[in-house]
Amino acid sequence: MPGATLSRWTMSYFAAACVFLVIGQGMMVSGYGYPFADIGAPATLALVHVLAIGWLGLLMVGALLQFVPVLVAAPLRAGRLALPALLLLIAGLLLLVGGFASLGGTPGMAPGMLPFGAFSLVTGFGFVTIMLASTIAAARPLPLPARFVAVGLTALIATVLVGGIFTLVLSGALANDTAIALLLEGAPLHAALGLGGWLTFTAIGVSYRLLPMFMLAPDSARATSKAVWWSGVVALALVAACVVSIAAGSAAVKWPLGLAALFSVSATLLYSTDLSRLFRERRRKIVELNILASYAAFAALLVSVVMFALPVTRSAAGEGAAAVVYLFVFGWLTGLGLAQLYKIVPFLTWLECYGPVLGRAAVPRVQDLVRERRARLWFCLYYGAVVAATISLFADNPMAFRIAVLAQLGATSGLLVEFARARELSAVAAPLRFPAGAPRPHLFLPISRPQE
Amino acid sequence: MSEATNETMCDAIRDALRMIIDPELGRNIVELGLIYDVSVEDGGIAHVTMTTTTRGCPASEYLKEAVRNCVWYVPGVEYAEVRLTYEPAWTPAMMSA
Repeated sequence: MPGATLSRWTMSYFAAACVFLVIGQGMMVSGYGYPFADIGAPATLALVHVLAIGWLGLLMVGALLQFVPVLVAAPLRAGRLALPALLLLIAGLLLLVGGFASLGGTPGMAPGMLPFGAFSLVTGFGFVTIMLASTIAAARPLPLPARFVAVGLTALIATVLVGGIFTLVLSGALANDTAIALLLEGAPLHAALGLGGWLTFTAIGVSYRLLPMFMLAPDSARATSKAVWWSGVVALALVAACVVSIAAGSAAVKWPLGLAALFSVSATLLYSTDLSRLFRERRRKIVELNILASYAAFAALLVSVVMFALPVTRSAAGEGAAAVVYLFVFGWLTGLGLAQLYKIVPFLTWLECYGPVLGRAAVPRVQDLVRERRARLWFCLYYGAVVAATISLFADNPMAFRIAVLAQLGATSGLLVEFARARELSAVAAPLRFPAGAPRPHLFLPISRPQE
Repeated sequence: MSEATNETMCDAIRDALRMIIDPELGRNIVELGLIYDVSVEDGGIAHVTMTTTTRGCPASEYLKEAVRNCVWYVPGVEYAEVRLTYEPAWTPAMMSA
């Protein structure tokens, strides 16, 4: 039977990602990186990569290892690469952060750590690409959500390669004029490919499958959904063309980026209409917390993209449009990530523990593994804190920013406790908790058999 | 096997399958319309054709195995064969009210 099974290492990816989210927010609370340092300062670069690779990157890879097989209704290929990829990504990130710290004058670190970190990251993401691309390539015809993921993976490769060149220049290993020009002018493009192409485009694609699945809404590919894909592809192609143009030694031109912003707004507006339609047409009238929290993230996406496209708000958002980028990273990407973890963690835990005894014993529902009342408060605090932090960046008030991020960290920690409680089946009524023959899930290590 | 006996066994199988819930929706798989067909041949050979709410769902194999186990324990069933299909694809309209 073609289909997906439990991804063996997904929960380990999630656990590592959550650790990096706590570290990243802890760094901001302690005054590390922007707005306490310049946007291009080594401390800011270290912080940004802890969040972009450590939190969002590992979270996305862990989710894709589980859900790409669902998107294409075929088993994951080369699944044995999942653990080496995780170890390489963590090692690469730590080396990268060490290299950035050395550029900031931290003793005991060396700039030479940067290219070694990049090599480890290129290899790790290469393994990820092999697993996911070979799984997607085997599916014909390719469903629309999988096409989003395919483009996201292409953007991931571009992001990682451009970042690799940056590390060679920063470490002094490469002094080529073109590479230096790429570092000086290409950092925003590197960020756009990573945050917009890899993380956002992929998240949108997966949401087109998961939202109908969890809300029981029609999941046929609409014309608007296809238009989202095309608009996004054009926007990313324009960004990629700018990278190529700099690498080819041409003077940096601005108009393709303006056009890319317009296509991004168009894609976001169309995506918003799809989201609204899915919500209206859902057959499941009860709206669970993960869906509500996801829609808050969708609102943050719309607001941040529109604010980025408007010159007035972009220029008011501080260095590098930092306030808008913050809303994008924490309101949209992180908000969606936490909201989906709130569903995926109990879902995978249920499969691990109760799947093997289904039909032989009474079992709880997935929803019985969580208690929404407490988590609802954490999500409200989280989004409130994100809005407060964004406003404090607009207002150029670092102290208020620090307090807001502290509240955000508190809310995140509360949610992480809820995820751990779901893994431990704490919310399940005692008679149903451990039926005879049900395996007990580990907190973040696999108990299931490998996929291959 | 008489037609009446056959029909009784099919009903017994459907009843037995009501103990299996879809983990996400919390309703049993018969009410959800996930069981497309049940038939019993002479000699107690039961055939069940079923689907899942989502193609490629990670719970598919567990659901299929659960159906096989469940059918096997129905009195009179000597062998159970379960087929998973996505033709036609399940839609929420297939749920019983």
